[in-house]
Amino acid sequence: MIDYSALKKAVIDGDDERTAQLVKEAIEQHADPADIVTLGLQAGLVTVGEKFSSGEFFIPEMLLAARTVTRSLDIIRPLVSDSDMITAGKVVIGTVVGDLHDIGKNLVGMLLGGVGFDVLDLGTDVYPKRFVTAVMEHKPDILGMSALITTTMPAMEATIQALESANIRRQVKVIVGGAPVTQHFADQIGADGYCSNGGSAIELCNRLVGR
Amino acid sequence: MAMSHKARILAAAHRQAVDKLPFGARIDVWYNYHCAHGTLPEKYEGWNMVDILRDQGAGVQVRHMRIWKLEYDNLEVVTREDPPYTITEWRTPVGAVSLKTVFRPEEGSWIVYEVDHPFKSKEDYPVIEYIFQNTRVVPDLSEYQQKEKMVGEDGIVITGMDMYSPMQQIMRYWLGYERFFYELHDHPVQVGQLYELQKEVAKKKLEILGESSVEIPMLCANWSDEFHTPVFAKYFSPWLREASDYLHSKGKVTQVHSDGEMRRLIPLFLETGVDVAEAWTPMPMTSVTTGELRKAWGDKVTVWGGIPAVLFEPQYTDQEFDTYVIDLFKQIAPGYNFIIGMGDNLPFDGRIERVGRIVELIDKYGSMPMKL
Ligand code: B12
Repeated sequence: MIDYSALKKAVIDGDDERTAQLVKEAIEQHADPADIVTLGLQAGLVTVGEKFSSGEFFIPEMLLAARTVTRSLDIIRPLVSDSDMITAGKVVIGTVVGDLHDIGKNLVGMLLGGVGFDVLDLGTDVYPKRFVTAVMEHKPDILGMSALITTTMPAMEATIQALESANIRRQVKVIVGGAPVTQHFADQIGADGYCSNGGSAIELCNRLVGR
Repeated sequence: MAMSHKARILAAAHRQAVDKLPFGARIDVWYNYHCAHGTLPEKYEGWNMVDILRDQGAGVQVRHMRIWKLEYDNLEVVTREDPPYTITEWRTPVGAVSLKTVFRPEEGSWIVYEVDHPFKSKEDYPVIEYIFQNTRVVPDLSEYQQKEKMVGEDGIVITGMDMYSPMQQIMRYWLGYERFFYELHDHPVQVGQLYELQKEVAKKKLEILGESSVEIPMLCANWSDEFHTPVFAKYFSPWLREASDYLHSKGKVTQVHSDGEMRRLIPLFLETGVDVAEAWTPMPMTSVTTGELRKAWGDKVTVWGGIPAVLFEPQYTDQEFDTYVIDLFKQIAPGYNFIIGMGDNLPFDGRIERVGRIVELIDKYGSMPMKL
């Protein structure tokens, strides 16, 4: 049994080189690629998310750790077939119409990508119609919307209504976030999930896809 | 004789006595949005923003982007429109970089937003260095002076460093936040070099500000502790200290636009020598209360703000609004070194009458020293 604690630590440190080296060593020792990903890389990133939520880490640490994981996944990917490259699920994410703030949304997208979700980022200023089209086209498990301005938050509700009108609301879990968004607001507009920071977005999405 | 709005704001910024709690209101998001949509309240149709604030009885805060122009030697700047985007390209002898921006005043915004930043890969370092080295800063005060005249004794026109201190300029404008942190990790020497060169550009801006009539130059904007704390002590405090010392020597006081989450920046702020924390946005929009802030800063920093934007929205009743404002007064009593204002603006669904309501509440409770 391989000890993944060193790999996990290298991810937490955002240390690309050490992470890559440990991933290669694990592969040489015939470790199961799925274990390298879940017990090493993703476990590290989950800890980083927790440290961010608790205020110990800041944005740069999150960014570097997420990039380290993305790069290591590139090493593992050629070794396994597509079906073995377990994806946790598909996420479509974007900042709602009228709103151009994207730092928080990008961070959430990167973290989710790092822990194994297949993330499609629609960018900023996304109209409800575009969210609907993306859901139809890409059939994600989760649709994530970000809003940083109170006056753009209603676009989240409009998007949920548009999903309903298109009869696809039940196909997808909708999660919302951004500084002014609250659990109360999320409940009010009928979203399936909310969280106040990127760290807890991992846990939320894992829960929603039953991981 | 009662002090004017301007005199009160300036006195509080200089940590001097005032007769009454100063108030400098900012409503440009609300104003721009309703002008663009033709939805200003009937009474205010065709009015300018300053007159609306006068009508509400409030002190005026007007923004002006910059009092200089950037000109370049030995390079060409080409701009083209690709609606809704504007593409700007700097063509230098060592290569070119391009920037994609969008401007949406109809959403209330008064700033241009960078969709795609000039720096794309490490090959762009020499190009951006070249641009900084060949940048001239030329005074351009006429529009500012017009606004100053328009506002008169009724408030302040705020302008300063193009909104951003040198490292924020690199972070926000040239690289973008995410790429900035990757680059700082991967190529710290090159990022450090950009910082040094941008400081030289910033110095020229400071000199123009120093010689101008701008009373409280704005040195930086849009902080949020999740991304600024790790780089603050190294790249923000020393420059803010230097800039403040210089502007103090010119008889001015300085401010920053602290509209984001400030919890972990509060202790660091005291190192900067900055006099005024403008756009102070407390709970519920951030995690900090005004009382906590006052405890941490005492009378060392003048705070401008205190009423979060959301309080102006219909989701809060008039009663809740009054309760919030009166509670704020209690937290800041006796009220020195404080300028009431918005954190950071009147949202477009905000109620303009609440600006006037603040004036009434100040008339009732705001004589110095405040006793609540
Ligand atoms: C940086 C900033 C900007 C930058 C944005 C740069 C960029 N690339 O995004 C610039 C300067 C361009 C900007 C512009 C404007 N801004 Co601004 N901005 C901010 C500021 C200071 C910080 C935002 C930020 O990035 N925080 C850091 C990130 C990491 O945090 P976050 O976004 O909250 O994300 C975290 C969580 O919320 C969560 N999360 C976020 N999204 C999602 C999504 C999902 C699905 C989930 C699960 C979780 C999640 O996870 C993230 C990571 O932990 C805030 C202040 C504040 N209190 O938020 C104001 C603020 C949001 N801005 C504001 C305003 C008014 C504007 C402007 C209109 C200003 C103007 N007059 O021009 C324009 C808007 C233009 C537009 N149409 O969008 C106001 C909004 C007020 C309101 N009524 O709600 C704020 C609150 C400032 C204030 N004090 O009033 N801004």
